[in-house]
Amino acid sequence: MAYSEKVVDHFNNPRNMGSFKKEEDGVGTGIVGAPECGDVMKLQIKVENDTIVDAKFKTFGCGSAIASSSLATEWLKGKTVEEAGKIKNTDIVQELNLPPVKIHCSVLAEDAIKAALADYQKKADSK
Amino acid sequence: MSGHIHNTDDRRELQMARSMCWHCQSEMAGEYFCDRCVKVQPVSKDLDYFTCFGLPRRLALDPQTLETKFYELSRAFHPDFYQNKSDAEQTISLGNSAMLNTAYRTLRDPIQRAEYLLDLEAGSVKDIRTTPPADLFEEILELQDTLDEFRASDRASESASTLRTKLHADRATLEQRQRDMEAQLQQLFGRWDALQNRGETTEQARAERGRILKDMRDILSNRTYVKNIVNDLVATIA
Repeated sequence: MAYSEKVVDHFNNPRNMGSFKKEEDGVGTGIVGAPECGDVMKLQIKVENDTIVDAKFKTFGCGSAIASSSLATEWLKGKTVEEAGKIKNTDIVQELNLPPVKIHCSVLAEDAIKAALADYQKKADSK
Repeated sequence: MSGHIHNTDDRRELQMARSMCWHCQSEMAGEYFCDRCVKVQPVSKDLDYFTCFGLPRRLALDPQTLETKFYELSRAFHPDFYQNKSDAEQTISLGNSAMLNTAYRTLRDPIQRAEYLLDLEAGSVKDIRTTPPADLFEEILELQDTLDEFRASDRASESASTLRTKLHADRATLEQRQRDMEAQLQQLFGRWDALQNRGETTEQARAERGRILKDMRDILSNRTYVKNIVNDLVATIA
């Protein structure tokens, strides 16, 4: 099985790799893992006035997991918090042409987005 | 298609077909060979690996017994012995051998055996989902950062040597944790088998079953995360 061109591109040139300080204002952090393969993914968003102005990720796992999270950060930027919650793993599967055995990587990315949004919300509510 | 399977008449027919020799149509009493015409019978896809080896669904398993049964069945099904037989028999021999090899590989390894049991039992327990180990994730991310730092460093430098010492210590700690998890798993195997042997159907026994399966699921998942980071550590500092 070969990776699709888009996966290879994201893998070789990952967008938005890195991290924000967790405690920073407006930052939401989501850390998730895939128990099947042991991949771990961290995805962070930075929100200003309800809009995601920046996003970063760090993923330790296979090419598809890295590509899925890299793509997710690209999509997140510029979206409102509400819009971000609507990103579905199937959108990622379609964009990256993921084969059936790699669908869980896209699920991981969706979970990471949800976790980051929930963390942001929790921080915002506690203020 | 699923409509067919749920149809009771079809199901009865399927069961009948299975207990009947595909060749002489006589009723089957033997395991894998017809008593009357001695033709090899296909191993049913619904047969779980434990039953395939004539073993109870338990996690403590004598490797010797498994191996003996495996060799016995391997000889019985081996395609080499079917070269002069009919096409139908050759196909069955091939299918059975493939199934047998997978079954043996799965049951031989305690981790794969437990994973397989969890798959089998997934239907009987509501939801064997893992609780994400947040602390472990944090630890892994931190370690990965240290690994990145080490990879980028000049190996001859003082700081690289400090990092290397730290990573070696981390590796030892994680490997100890792997061993601890395996011991915990063994303990759960024992609890599971004891529960199965008692064969109770009380609400309490059901809840206990669920707890054991869930705990096994969690340990197996955490073990995978730890194994990955240990592999990365070993590959980097070796």
